[in-house]
Amino acid sequence: MSTQTGQSTRPGQEPIDVNDPQVSRFDIVREGARRDDIEIVHYEHQVAPGSKAERRLVRTVAGFFLLTGLAATAFLVIYIWWPWEYQPGRGGDKLFTPLLGVTLGVALLGIGFGILTWGKKLLPKEVSIQDRHEGAVSTEDRTITGQTMLYMADELGVRRRPLLGMSLLAGLVPVGAVAAAPLVGGLISDPHKNNQMMTTGFSPQEGQKIRLVREDGRPIRPADISAGGQITVFPGVEHGVSNRYADSPTLLIHLRDADAEDSRRNNEREGHGGYMWGNYAAFSKICTHAGCPASLYEQQTNRLLCPCHQSQFLITDNAKPIFGPASRRLPQLPIEVDAEGYFVAKSDYTEPVGPDFWERP
Amino acid sequence: MTSDNDRRRGLLARLRGRPVARSRGRRRLGAAVRLVAALMLAGGAYTVLAPGASAQENPPLSGAAADGKALFDVSCVTCHGRNAQGVEGRGPSLIGVGAASVEFQVSTGRMPMARQEAQAQRKPEVFSPDEVDQLAAYIQELGGGPVVPAGDNLHADGNVAIGGELYRINCSQCHAFSGGGGALSSGKYAPSLKPATDRQIYAAMLSGPQNMPVFGDNQITPEQKADIIAYIQTLNTDGDPGGFNLGRYGPSTEGVAIFLVGIVALVFASLWIAGKS
Amino acid sequence: MKRRKFDMAAAPGNSARAIDDRFQVATPLRRLLNKVFPDHWSFLLGEIALFSFVVLLLTGVFLTFFFEPTMTEVIYNGSYAPLRGTPMSAAYASSLDISFDVRGGLIMRQMHHWSALLFMAAIVVHMLRIFFTGAFRKPRETNWIIGSLLFWVGFLAGFTGYSLPDDGLSGTGLRIASAIMLSIPVIGSWLTSSIFDGEFPGTIIISRFFIAHVLLIPALLVALISVHLGLVFKQKHTQWPGPGRTNGNVVGERMFPRYAIKQGGFFMVVFGVIALMGGLFQINPIWLFGPYEAWVVSAASQPDWYVMFLDGSTRLMPDWQIDIPIGDGYVIPPLFWPTVVLPGILVMLSLFYPFMEARYLKDYRSHNLLQRPRDVPFRTALGAMAVTFYLILTLTGANDVIADKFHISLNAMTWAGRIGLLILPPLAYYVTYRICLGLQQHDREVLAHGVETGIIKRLPDGRFVEVHQPLSAPDEHGHTELEYAGWVVPKKMNRLGALGPAIRGFFYPIEKPAEAPVSPGHPPVEPRPEREEIGSGETRR
Repeated sequence: MSTQTGQSTRPGQEPIDVNDPQVSRFDIVREGARRDDIEIVHYEHQVAPGSKAERRLVRTVAGFFLLTGLAATAFLVIYIWWPWEYQPGRGGDKLFTPLLGVTLGVALLGIGFGILTWGKKLLPKEVSIQDRHEGAVSTEDRTITGQTMLYMADELGVRRRPLLGMSLLAGLVPVGAVAAAPLVGGLISDPHKNNQMMTTGFSPQEGQKIRLVREDGRPIRPADISAGGQITVFPGVEHGVSNRYADSPTLLIHLRDADAEDSRRNNEREGHGGYMWGNYAAFSKICTHAGCPASLYEQQTNRLLCPCHQSQFLITDNAKPIFGPASRRLPQLPIEVDAEGYFVAKSDYTEPVGPDFWERP
Repeated sequence: MTSDNDRRRGLLARLRGRPVARSRGRRRLGAAVRLVAALMLAGGAYTVLAPGASAQENPPLSGAAADGKALFDVSCVTCHGRNAQGVEGRGPSLIGVGAASVEFQVSTGRMPMARQEAQAQRKPEVFSPDEVDQLAAYIQELGGGPVVPAGDNLHADGNVAIGGELYRINCSQCHAFSGGGGALSSGKYAPSLKPATDRQIYAAMLSGPQNMPVFGDNQITPEQKADIIAYIQTLNTDGDPGGFNLGRYGPSTEGVAIFLVGIVALVFASLWIAGKS
Repeated sequence: MKRRKFDMAAAPGNSARAIDDRFQVATPLRRLLNKVFPDHWSFLLGEIALFSFVVLLLTGVFLTFFFEPTMTEVIYNGSYAPLRGTPMSAAYASSLDISFDVRGGLIMRQMHHWSALLFMAAIVVHMLRIFFTGAFRKPRETNWIIGSLLFWVGFLAGFTGYSLPDDGLSGTGLRIASAIMLSIPVIGSWLTSSIFDGEFPGTIIISRFFIAHVLLIPALLVALISVHLGLVFKQKHTQWPGPGRTNGNVVGERMFPRYAIKQGGFFMVVFGVIALMGGLFQINPIWLFGPYEAWVVSAASQPDWYVMFLDGSTRLMPDWQIDIPIGDGYVIPPLFWPTVVLPGILVMLSLFYPFMEARYLKDYRSHNLLQRPRDVPFRTALGAMAVTFYLILTLTGANDVIADKFHISLNAMTWAGRIGLLILPPLAYYVTYRICLGLQQHDREVLAHGVETGIIKRLPDGRFVEVHQPLSAPDEHGHTELEYAGWVVPKKMNRLGALGPAIRGFFYPIEKPAEAPVSPGHPPVEPRPEREEIGSGETRR
């Protein structure tokens, strides 16, 4: 299109005959704009057609598109032939994804910048002004629409025939409930079923005390943990080492003599006398704050840190929270050693394990 | 640095006469520790002062151990005391810590300590490997204790998958999924495992340095230790399949990246797109 | 047989006519093609979010072909050696397969995750633009509300997606989410139990999150985005004040061809940046975290950045537990306040802000012109306060990483966050307010006295004054009576004129000065005959 915008008489303000073979295409465009209340006030080619600048820009745009073709081809070649299967180490397979990313990214950026350069540099610059027509809603129209709706309401006659309205309400409310019922009823699940919030895998089964076992299911002897050591233990029941017993993982800690002395004394004070066995104490690994495994045990300070929100518990003082957002101490598991020399839980935890909730006793 | 540090620091501050705010529990703990330390010191003093007691009952030191004792008396005696009995408020007794502990602390440069702080840091090591061996031999002969098996490659027949599972259960809570380390309470931290050698990792598990719990051979067998070491070394040697790993810090650096790279790049692009041509 | 001649040239016209015969699209199409959009870089921020959403849909559909949303326990036997033989959920195993056994699966996964982060980041940046320029005012309150909802729905989409791979990190996040639900008074345990079908983690949560993540939430997002865009279309875009721009018009470019082409190009650029990030930056290496096991956690377990502020508020919360001594006793755990109450307040504040501001200012008119942040100091200061608040919480969400890497005590970081959260936002308010006033004052000074020239003149009585170049003919006091137009006031000698830099170029000036001043009604300023490059001076020896 080779059109010039006259600056003098503000063309495009007067309607023109679009079927007149004399008018240029741009005039028709401007007529269309006029009909949409748009005034094209400025329309100017940025580069003269056939000029050196135009040729350079065309070459740039073409360059971008060719770059895209190259990169996309490279992507396909890499995708098909690059050795991509996982190998340990730092082999070529580790370059597969980065190479795909680079080739795909370059291909897409090539299209993007090609199109952008085309649109931004080669197309004419324009400034158009369009009316917003805001508040142009005529009050008359509002009246008409409003009256129409009121008229419809009158025709329905809900006000004159109150029984209709009431019976409709009485009929539809249960229907709405019917829509919600299967969803709510299907999803709802009693949290206190089998007393599941208060018990863990350590609650004795048929009078049998539950052993503390390792992650591979082996029971634990006192000699298995050195002083200053800790081990994650699980209830020795079927699937005890699995997410089915997500509340049960427990930290068994072998305290040093002096710390154990402290700990025992504090236990007595809290009425937890006899919860420890020798210098061994077992605390729930599930943080009472948000349920992460609080398991960063510092063997010299006897602090237990939770990595999620930095609550810190003092193991030697009944795992009392001493820093951070946790407000409740970690429940302690009463332990002893059975006749065969393995650790067992004397009973289940004596308070609920894990994050707090409203009806916790 | 905060008010409540590990007990060694608390005692030190006390010796210097600097008031350190401590909770009642910590004070009680400190009292217990002081009691134990005083008893140990008294015992140590007795052993030293009792005429001829130690000299005759201890077997003579081997050659390496004698060299180690010479090194010890020059570099370590200030804090750990004569015959490694420990000095209250400065350094613990080294009787019974074993060669593993010496090897870990000295070969990573943590000992000798430059100054008392929340936790000894890894530094360029002061002693050569031979000297570390001599020191280790000396401490070993003094009181026994855990020893790292011979050899530099301790993970040759480790199973990476089993090691990974053990690592996640026992190690990742402090050293992070990547082995990059993490923060502990009050300025303490679990160090990065990247620079650690097989022997150092093994020694750390055996001896439980600083606040790290002890993972003795009774708890994690030597084979399992080899598995864990194999996994840790895999973390270091296995490349990242997804490009630059952003330091393996988890979502926090990913959040930084999306703003510094993604948003910044696209804002520049939009500046160009909407700019006057 | 005589072949009928097919006139290629007439084909488009004929088919267009045929279509219009049937659907009468010519007039609406013309309106669409002619629609005028204002042009400013800050108007493109929302598009980043829109385009990354498209990328999310594309990559997400790919991922659904390979992801298995069940928690059935399987033994991994794929190519990633360090996990072989490990028991894990089918969801995690299939995520590993996407990363290691589906060719090109890893880059799709990474692009999906990066575009999710970009989606949320762009929403936030876009929202800040809307807020600071007052674009939410009447008649656009509805769109502001939809935009705020988009953030929260995107937040849910992100969280459910973060939980799907069932690796150690996502399981930990899910665990915390369950604890948050559990902390709600009265209904907490029932709600949690109903969502997880029993105790955490149960066996069905991944399947439920999957359908929410791939169907319910995207459908909601698509619906909200459609209404959002429809309203932008219907109400027409806001524009900055400037010459010829009024509350009743839109000055810019018609949609076709230039505006639409720019949008299409920008989409490709956004897509390309996501592809580059997806290939070059590793995100969420699930294989290092291992399968989720309730007893396993990694140091520095964090949510994605847009959830981090909640993690931060949880970390800063003191251990204030409320005991209610009725019957057996009831508890409101401290977790409830920072994770349920705080976001609730934030949602409400953001939803109703336009109405609160209109009420406060008693301003119920329609506004289509934007405001410069400096011109509404209290709003800008409020925004700065909110941003500070959010930033402190977000940084606290990573305070263990910061503590570890910069050797700061973790406990000190927590205390710094607690104190900072109380002190810094009001401080930010005050500082921002003063900065806004200062900038306003400088604008007025330039309008009254002119542009500072840097030329110092000594008066006969010995005083030194700086020569100002007035912006229009001054009165006898040397003052000019120019009204502030709500738009950039020229402050440098070569920036006269209200429509932006007269010297062209993006990073450095192009040697050719602009043709003429664009500001109407002022005499043209002669460009300096030559421009000297400022350098070290050595080249001119």
